Amino acid sequence: MKPAGSVLSVRGLTKHFPIAGRGIRRRTAEVVRAVEDVSFELAAGETFGLVGESGCGKTTLARCLLRALTPTSGAIIFRLPDGRTVDLARLADRELKPLRPHAQMVFQDPFSSLNPRMTVRDIVGEPLVIHRLARGAELDDRVRDQLGRVGLDPALRGRYPHAFSGGQRQRIAIARALIMRPSLLVCDEATSALDVSVQAQVLDLLKELQRELHLTYLFVAHNLDVVRNFCDRVAVMRQGRIIELAPAAQIFDAPQHAYTRLLLSAMPSPDPDVLMNFNAGDDLAKLDSATA
Amino acid sequence: MNSASLPLLEVTNLRVSFDSHAGLVGAVQNVSFSIPRGRTLALVGESGSGKSVTASALLRIVPPPGRIVGGRIVLRTRRDGDIDIAQLDEKSGLLYRVRGGLVSMIFQDPMSALSPVHTVGSQVAEAILVHQDVSPAAARRLTTEMLAKVGIANAAARYNQFPHELSGGLRQRVIIAMALVCQPELLIADEPTTALDVTTQAQILGLIKNLQRELGCAVLLITHDFGVVAQMADEVAVMHRGEIVERGSVRAVLKTPQHAHTRALLDALPSRRVRVA
Ligand SMILES: Nc1ncnc2c1ncn2[C@@H]1O[C@H](COP(=O)(O)OP(=O)(O)OP(=O)(O)O)[C@@H](O)[C@H]1O
Ligand SMILES: Nc1ncnc2c1ncn2[C@@H]1O[C@H](COP(=O)(O)OP(=O)(O)OP(=O)(O)O)[C@@H](O)[C@H]1O
Ligand SMILES: [Mg+2]
Ligand SMILES: [Mg+2]
Repeated sequence: MKPAGSVLSVRGLTKHFPIAGRGIRRRTAEVVRAVEDVSFELAAGETFGLVGESGCGKTTLARCLLRALTPTSGAIIFRLPDGRTVDLARLADRELKPLRPHAQMVFQDPFSSLNPRMTVRDIVGEPLVIHRLARGAELDDRVRDQLGRVGLDPALRGRYPHAFSGGQRQRIAIARALIMRPSLLVCDEATSALDVSVQAQVLDLLKELQRELHLTYLFVAHNLDVVRNFCDRVAVMRQGRIIELAPAAQIFDAPQHAYTRLLLSAMPSPDPDVLMNFNAGDDLAKLDSATA
Repeated sequence: MNSASLPLLEVTNLRVSFDSHAGLVGAVQNVSFSIPRGRTLALVGESGSGKSVTASALLRIVPPPGRIVGGRIVLRTRRDGDIDIAQLDEKSGLLYRVRGGLVSMIFQDPMSALSPVHTVGSQVAEAILVHQDVSPAAARRLTTEMLAKVGIANAAARYNQFPHELSGGLRQRVIIAMALVCQPELLIADEPTTALDVTTQAQILGLIKNLQRELGCAVLLITHDFGVVAQMADEVAVMHRGEIVERGSVRAVLKTPQHAHTRALLDALPSRRVRVA
């Protein structure tokens, strides 16, 4: 059923959030359909991009895959390094704990995602401590090794996050995510807050680590230029569903879906002679009323 | 030359320093640029290069311990004649006029610019009441008009909503309404769309363009996105470590950059990098 080499196979994944209704409808069970019947495969070693407007369900989908959220329905078949497969959607917290090291996440905000009261050594080493995989001198060795890998001076490991720039903090977050040797790394807007030069450095680092450690990436971003150049395949999400999924070159050069074309037309081109579509928002509203 | 052909804003040798225990740190060093009426200048440069500090100097709101230590900031206003903002007394009525309407600013984070405990309409109306001699009823009417003008559907109902009840794009429209309601001569927009997705960004950028055409104000646009620069600006100034290292028309700077630092910034663009797959 599942092609050889796929790390993750997602089938019919759905996540609804209940919302408390107001007034007389208080008791009716209204829901936000954040993710609706999503299916796709992640091949080992690929970079899979996830794009779409704010609120379309990207983060919710990512959090379901890592089981930071429990899906409403669907299957998340994950292949472990030893070749066994498990359906993450069906496991209880207790059964998930030993699996958590295999899939890790890096978030957008390098300022709020690191605990300001912990040293870099403690931040990066914490996952090893939680899973009781290393302590004492061995822990320190692994932290130093990991910091070196992401291009940070290990001698700075006694410092606190505030002493580092945005780009350096994102490296710390990556070091922490990778110290458990995951096979899957989810990056949710991981480079969005960085300026272009630092963003380029962090993307280069991610590519290098991917080759070295044979990582699979799920890369969520609203900067389509970054996605085009960083991802192998791209899925376009809209209102909880994947509406188009194809190799990056095809999505960007020959988009099939009207919505994808609209999204691309709104991209501000760095070439002043290629005019962007300033009316993309209104066009979107027209598209909605046409399909409604 | 008569004054109509002189630029609206002319900044000459602006210097801003921060007193720290390491001594005086020059965050902005001898920066000069000008913006003609109705035109847009983009200020680009890597994080920490001094873009926001330059912008804050134009409103005399440099965060302490920072202060302006030299230079001129001449604004040629229609209503109040030529003003050197750098020289104004902190308590002068003119500085109050500069902050209250001649120059307005849109900040990056729309949440921090709005009070969570007041309706969005009352916040825009307040901006009118403080600086214009109108009745509360007139302020309310002007506000509703402005909210509609920035593309907020059903403006009269939106007037009564609180910021947390609006999406990021709608909140940014409210901020723009607030910034434009006093008809500024200069609009400063510091990363106005960085937090937004592409379709919302397109709407907000189009809105700024249209209102600029309609109201004839000049725009100082701060961003690290060269796409936004290319689509919005007439001229570009590139900052590096507190100095402007290159200045020119948007086509000249983006297509034939002269300074090594500008080239380095452009080479970091994802679309210009060699694919490594
Ligand atoms: N805990 C929650 N409770 C209720 N609704 C939620 C919750 N988390 C997310 N949602 C809703 O689910 C939808 C999808 O949100 P999600 O955060 O996944 O979007 P996103 O694509 O990541 O957007 P962005 O690009 O802005 O980060 C939104 O309508 C959101 O309001
Ligand atoms: N409160 C402060 N105290 C001391 N130095 C400061 C302070 N604020 C800014 N600076 C100095 O001014 C320099 C310029 O900062 P500024 O905020 O203008 O950068 P920027 O170009 O806007 O960067 P970004 O793109 O990250 O917003 C910084 O490198 C820093 O050294
Ligand atoms: Mg998200
Ligand atoms: Mg800034």
